[in-house]
Amino acid sequence: MEQETLFPLLRGTAQGNREDFAELYKVASPQVFAVVLKLLKHKELAEEATQDAFIKVWHNAANYQRARGTVLTWIISIARYRALDMLRYQRVRKTEDTEPDSMASDEENNFELEAKLSHPKLESCLDELDAQQRQAIHLAYFNGLSHLEVVQHLSSPLGTIKSWIRRGLVSLQRCLSL
Amino acid sequence: MNYAKETLCNALAAEYVLGTLKGKARQRYETLMMENQTIRETTWLWEQHLNGLGEGLKPVQPPPSVWNNIQQKLGWVAQSDNVVTLKPEKSNSKRWQVLAGLSTAAVLLIVLLMPLTQPTVEPNISSVAVVTDQAHQPLWLIELSDNHIFTRATSNLVAQQNKDYELWMVPDDGSAPVSLGLLPKTGDVQLVRPSQLTLAGVSALAVSLEPLGGSPSGSPTEVLYISPLTKV
Repeated sequence: MEQETLFPLLRGTAQGNREDFAELYKVASPQVFAVVLKLLKHKELAEEATQDAFIKVWHNAANYQRARGTVLTWIISIARYRALDMLRYQRVRKTEDTEPDSMASDEENNFELEAKLSHPKLESCLDELDAQQRQAIHLAYFNGLSHLEVVQHLSSPLGTIKSWIRRGLVSLQRCLSL
Repeated sequence: MNYAKETLCNALAAEYVLGTLKGKARQRYETLMMENQTIRETTWLWEQHLNGLGEGLKPVQPPPSVWNNIQQKLGWVAQSDNVVTLKPEKSNSKRWQVLAGLSTAAVLLIVLLMPLTQPTVEPNISSVAVVTDQAHQPLWLIELSDNHIFTRATSNLVAQQNKDYELWMVPDDGSAPVSLGLLPKTGDVQLVRPSQLTLAGVSALAVSLEPLGGSPSGSPTEVLYISPLTKV
């Protein structure tokens, strides 16, 4: 999804143009919805997170800065933070019908991305990570798992998982900044 | 910033964006972000790095109701035909008994407003609340059905234009309030009642003052009013 397409729409949104906002929603919402749906694994919650994120986009469009990444990355950030908050609420409440499904299934461990990343360097830097580091980061990013949950998921000691995540992130940062 | 601080800053920012920084540590980090430009920019950098991952997922089309709800919450569309507003229910005498126990002003207001609405769908209202200010003036009227929350701002409400008002369910057991959505500053708004929530164990609703768009943290920023929720 091109920044060249989304940025003018966000600029129009910041100026109060509803048609631009509608187009921005039309173009960006499927990607945003995919991210929060994978994280929350609950359709209604994912709908709510998407809805809340775009309301925030409408109100805060003028605050977007290029330093925050592409328009799509920025919107995904907003939606993902909202989804993480919702995920924590659900876990605190231990609501049965929002428990993630089949947490331990093989499918959950499959993080083959369906599309090319718009950030090709990110893709190559992720490939350079150790398999465990990559899997721990993927689990945390896509499933919103805390350290402890990653431990349960990967059946490894907490210290090891923390170390995989931290080392993985350090390596990722080093690779991306080269 | 020396190397050690830069490394720590990077580690915290990365874990914040990833979501593995949790609880109080996460809240402290959010405060740091507000105060420190470098920490904020480092976080932005990690948002770019990690949220690029999300762009690799296969897109999923959200249902049309999401866009409809956005427009409603932004106050762009009038309540659609199938949206139900406050209304009398002929056969529900118990509801009126409960309303009789509410403040006189609130009940009077409800009585005045009810004949104005011509709902097309009969909602099964299970609970009601009237949010009042310190002078007991009704500000919002709230009714809960099995699937929806019907909210109406009264003319007593003098809303701050640069703020939003968010509605929360307050569980009896002291656990964190659960957001139900933004309240209207004028007119009606129908909120979707989260399906995972039951009214058992919830005895009150709270209204908080929030930045536009709602609570940035997922918790109420400044609780203004608490209103008992009464089953009917």
